[in-house]
Amino acid sequence: MSCHFEEDLTAYVDEELPAARRAQVEAHLGTCAGCRATEGLLRHAVARLAELPDFAPSADTRRAVLARLDALPVPWWERLKAWWRPAVLVPSAGLAAAVGLALVVGGPAREALPEELEDATEMELVANLELVEDYELVGLDDADDLEVVASLHELEVAQ
Amino acid sequence: MLKVAAGDRRAFAWLFDRYHASVARFAFRFVGDRERAEELTQDIFVKLYRNAKAYQPTARFKTFLFRVATNHCLNEVRRGEYRVAHTSMETPEGDEAGAVEMAGPDGDRPDQALAGRELERVVGEALRDLSARERAAFTMCRFEGMAYRDIAEVLEASESAVKSLIHRATLAVARRIEELQAGAVPARSRA
Ligand SMILES: [Zn+2]
Repeated sequence: MSCHFEEDLTAYVDEELPAARRAQVEAHLGTCAGCRATEGLLRHAVARLAELPDFAPSADTRRAVLARLDALPVPWWERLKAWWRPAVLVPSAGLAAAVGLALVVGGPAREALPEELEDATEMELVANLELVEDYELVGLDDADDLEVVASLHELEVAQ
Repeated sequence: MLKVAAGDRRAFAWLFDRYHASVARFAFRFVGDRERAEELTQDIFVKLYRNAKAYQPTARFKTFLFRVATNHCLNEVRRGEYRVAHTSMETPEGDEAGAVEMAGPDGDRPDQALAGRELERVVGEALRDLSARERAAFTMCRFEGMAYRDIAEVLEASESAVKSLIHRATLAVARRIEELQAGAVPARSRA
């Protein structure tokens, strides 16, 4: 089992190899029984792992976390309010545009929002969370857009 | 004011609702113990809130979250608190809540339920024998379906290092599963 292709076999199974290397491994598998056996072993294990039951945390976890945040020296929602204060976000036209873009392009993710999040303020807060998460997917990769996204970070000290 | 606060609370709760199952799953596979996984999940979300200022918009949120989660779990392991935790995985039938929730879709078929518990046991044992970083990389890859590139970002490692971690871990787990199927594992209750 000292074949030097062996160390790439898991990445091969996971389809994580660059195309050129993938082709090399594929060609090698045709000639090396040891690697073929290891590949089979790995594929079988990955398939069996999918059979494991999911771990579901108890419903108490949520209540416990929110209670612990409430017990922090500064109420957590006061800090969070400073962190994502809508009033600070609104004056930035670029940011508003970016949020708008995220709202348009990131539509499917946002459709999953609970219905009670209808209040505009709440939607804006969540949109900001979403923007941070989705800007790569949305394709905000030019300098202006990135600057807008970076300004989100600065809002934390803007209280 | 109260209304805004309520809105903030809902925003954070929404974040929690969206991601806590992933974090809990990660913690569970990392420490191998359901109660500790829930404690860790709580700790991680409290930490996430406290470390909000460290969030860099260059990282995707899930990457940031898993970095917080991984660091927290790695620190816990370093402190030695969870060294013996995996033993509890070997007796899921002794844990009422565990027995119910871990039963899975085949819970109504005793033979398959047994096979599932045996699989759970050998995977837990294999994970326990991995290094903490191997376990973290393996867990993110196999149970969260994260790409090597994203795992590298979480672990602040190169993709090539992550490839090695995941390979060693997967191979170790694969050999345990193979032993189980070959009947070579000295299981207590193999039929
Ligand atoms: Zn070979």
